[in-house]
Amino acid sequence: MAKKFSAPLERTARLLDLVPYISSHQGISLKELAAVFKVDQAQMTSDLTTLWMCGLPGYTPLELMDLEFESGFVTIHNAQTLSKPRSISFDEGVALVLGLDLLRSSISPDRSDLLERIDSLSNRLAVLINLPTALSATSQVNKDVSAAISDALKSRMGLEITYHSLYRDELSTRTILPIEIVESDGHIYLSSYCYQALDFRQFRIDRIQSATVQAVPLEIPKTATEQSSYACTIKVLTPTRAIAERFKKSDLSVNTEFNFQTYSLQWIERSIMASGGAVCLNSPPDVRKSIAVMAQTMLDRYKAR
Amino acid sequence: MDTVSRKIERLINLTIALLATKRYLTKTEIFNSVEGYDGTAETKERMFERDKDDLRSLGIEIEVGSFDPLFNDEAGYKIKQEKYQFELGDISPTEVSLLSLAAEAWHEASFGDVAQKALLKLRSIGIPSDELSIPANVHKLNDGGQDLSLMTKAIAQSQCLSFAYLDSGLNINARSIVPIALSTRNGFWYLYGVDQEIQEIRTFRVDRISGAITVSKGPKDFEAPTGFDSSKTHLESPTHEYALIDVRVGKAASLRALAVSSQSLGEWDQIKVPILNLESLCSIVLWHGPDALVQEPAELRNLIIEHLEALVGNHG
Repeated sequence: MAKKFSAPLERTARLLDLVPYISSHQGISLKELAAVFKVDQAQMTSDLTTLWMCGLPGYTPLELMDLEFESGFVTIHNAQTLSKPRSISFDEGVALVLGLDLLRSSISPDRSDLLERIDSLSNRLAVLINLPTALSATSQVNKDVSAAISDALKSRMGLEITYHSLYRDELSTRTILPIEIVESDGHIYLSSYCYQALDFRQFRIDRIQSATVQAVPLEIPKTATEQSSYACTIKVLTPTRAIAERFKKSDLSVNTEFNFQTYSLQWIERSIMASGGAVCLNSPPDVRKSIAVMAQTMLDRYKAR
Repeated sequence: MDTVSRKIERLINLTIALLATKRYLTKTEIFNSVEGYDGTAETKERMFERDKDDLRSLGIEIEVGSFDPLFNDEAGYKIKQEKYQFELGDISPTEVSLLSLAAEAWHEASFGDVAQKALLKLRSIGIPSDELSIPANVHKLNDGGQDLSLMTKAIAQSQCLSFAYLDSGLNINARSIVPIALSTRNGFWYLYGVDQEIQEIRTFRVDRISGAITVSKGPKDFEAPTGFDSSKTHLESPTHEYALIDVRVGKAASLRALAVSSQSLGEWDQIKVPILNLESLCSIVLWHGPDALVQEPAELRNLIIEHLEALVGNHG
């Protein structure tokens, strides 16, 4: 989390950063400038008015910064002292170094020119903020897969993917129209329309084993609906961290019962199996029954030896 | 004009004056020439002290020195241009694009704010960026709700971090470490550090840290272990124990991914999996239901049988 400054300091920092930005973007519109600095236009006008009064000691018109403010477009002169951007903070440097590291893992090895640039930038930044090189951000995503997804999204094309479904434990080949990349609980998903399921599906990008760009009909049938979900009731017998993380529950104690929504009965069945004796599924009753049957079958096999 | 705007104006004027001067400016010169220092000598003094602190907290370094080293002159102040400015050396349009993509990797995560600020400074250098066709929009970083900059700062300065950590039994343990590395893997952040109690390297998943992290001074003689590579700690198994597991052909992909070898038995394959943690391996085997059957060791078999009996008992 970024350090938060008090409002006046936040504003001082913004004014100091405004000068070099305008200097390198002479004639920028007030509207755009406000958007770049994430403030409204009234605030930006007030910021510019304050800047107008600043300058070198003497404060004659000669020493003051010249801001021109013509019909909504801004130019600045006489601001040499502040015209270079401020040095980056430790936090900003860390954010960039980690971002670069992640970028490195998504660039194909034959772009050694880019990889070299990334290494050089990363080293220069580390020196600048005095950072030991002990930060790394890697991605589990196959480079060809990420390239294909990126192409498909950019060109509004479809994809043929082979996907490993964890719940079904099988590889399937699907044709999808990718819609957007979404992040949830630390995983990256590709939200798509799937032509096999004839419905919207989210695919975890790290489970896509291969992807090729393909032409698909771009219309999505109107019959596509959100998947229906199933309500489960789960009783905790032994609270463990694994249970807390699997079901995303933080306050577990013995004999608490909680409700859980799932889109996949297979997922809930496997999750209860994997939890062993730590939890008990009370409903849906047919899943409860099938767990008992499955566990008995497996037990018989172990005992048979 | 209100006092807040006056203060902001004064801070900016002070910055400009201290940046523009070639020699150190004394307080008297500052009070006489920089707009905004009014009132009694004492008031001005207080204002100046606060302003200096404020600028420092914004990361602007103010140098203190004197005109003539031979005389015990009044102290003077200035800001060095080279310290104030963003100096990354010669920078090409391609590099600007790469840095933009790096900043965008943070997306909406709270560190993203910081990354955007860095990006803004970068764009202010005035070098256009190249259109790069690299698939950079796929991965996004998040900070898992923890203060990553606090951790990186502690790594840089070998500080000691104390926090409550959730163990596998949901117990909260107090841990104190000197952090040495930070990395992401599978969407989670991992912090590596030398545990101060046992003096060994341990790995912590950041989202399992419960509550706030306390920073304190690290041990004086701390030396980061050499040859540590965070990318290897996940792969290296500190064990020589293996399990033999039969898995149905074409099934149990996530169990197969852990295997060091595989042998075909017709309808089944027998795989050899290193045992890093008995409980978690047991859980993965159970996840695959009737598609996985443990042959060895007896310890794992018994644990599975125990869980299956509980499952039958609880759901029957």
